[in-house]
Amino acid sequence: MKLRLTSGLIAAGLLFAQVSAAEAHIVAIRLGDFYAGALHPLTDLQDILLWLAMGLLAGSMGAARGRWLVLVFPLGLLAGLALGQTIGGIGANPAVDAAVAVVLGLLLAAAARVPTVLLCAIAIALAVLRGAANAGDLDPATNNLLFAAGLACAGYAAITLVMALTLVFRGPVADTSKASDASKAWRGIALRALGGWIAAIGLMMAGLAFAS
Amino acid sequence: MTGCEHAMSLRRLRLLPVAAAAFLLTSPALAHEQGDVGGGLAAGLLHPLTGADHLIAMVAVGIWGAQLGAPAIWVLPITFPLVMALGGVLGILHIPLPMPEIVIALSALVLGGAVALRLKLPFVAAAAIVAVFAIFHGHAHGAELPGSANPLAYGMGFVVATGLLHLCGITIGTLTRWPAGERVVQGLGAVIALLGGYFLIQSVGISV
Repeated sequence: MKLRLTSGLIAAGLLFAQVSAAEAHIVAIRLGDFYAGALHPLTDLQDILLWLAMGLLAGSMGAARGRWLVLVFPLGLLAGLALGQTIGGIGANPAVDAAVAVVLGLLLAAAARVPTVLLCAIAIALAVLRGAANAGDLDPATNNLLFAAGLACAGYAAITLVMALTLVFRGPVADTSKASDASKAWRGIALRALGGWIAAIGLMMAGLAFAS
Repeated sequence: MTGCEHAMSLRRLRLLPVAAAAFLLTSPALAHEQGDVGGGLAAGLLHPLTGADHLIAMVAVGIWGAQLGAPAIWVLPITFPLVMALGGVLGILHIPLPMPEIVIALSALVLGGAVALRLKLPFVAAAAIVAVFAIFHGHAHGAELPGSANPLAYGMGFVVATGLLHLCGITIGTLTRWPAGERVVQGLGAVIALLGGYFLIQSVGISV
């Protein structure tokens, strides 16, 4: 059962990664903007880093807290996209992205027990920011509805996959009294070390933003 | 039960190469208006590996952490990249530090020496020593960062490479569980210290 889940996740991830190969054909067809929206965030390092950090953080908190993000994150992206289209030019600020990366990384590194409400608030803030940033590259010819649908689907898939993989890796949070504590402790530490890496990358991004 | 789990892990293992191959074979997706991401990533990943002074110091940090045991072995990999990134920010902003070359060479000498002598310092003292060296190492990387192809990709590559070097060191450090392995680890520490001494003489010779 668990194996099926894992291999299913891997297969889904692979399919997702391979989509780019088909991109050249589909752009010419009417659904092209859906794929443009879905692929756009995946071609941006900032998006990949921040989405990964968000998924890792939510996944490390356990399913009970993290599962709200499955709903909240794509909706936030949509809100951000709409906001970015109407206001425009607010999203793509490297300093803000860097600050978000530092906060997410530090929370993960500290293994902080963030309340569900706060976690959702962070996820919405991040999703709105990234949605607005993705709106920056929309041109008048794009079908906005299809692009938005693609973006929301990508957000949903990415956050769900990362959270699920983190949960599988970490194991259930609740039962801490098992015999296999040592391996579990190491898995927790590995996640926290990843948080340290993310925060470090965020710090460097901040430095670059201030230097330029 | 255990047999089932064993089979599962085996099958998972078999999936891994397939997954890796599939990821490697994907063509890079849409052109985004970022600089050369691949180049930046490669440069960042390779930079800590090509500088011998940096490489041996990072491995020594991992080994020493493993030798020191409980708090150090897991505090190190979590906090070291952060402190190094602080140094990196100083480097990016071109805030000069005193004698960077000498301190970096000294770091390999001191950390290698600590491993060779199995120096059991209190955790706070060890952390302070490592933090100072971390800032200098980060500074050296940060100073080179903005000129690279894609700065964010460079930073990511370099943080990941450094973290993996620590992991190498920690893995080597687990040899201390066996008496013979402990000798090997101490020998490695001595080699690192000697190399550090060599780099120190070199950097003094150049700078004086």
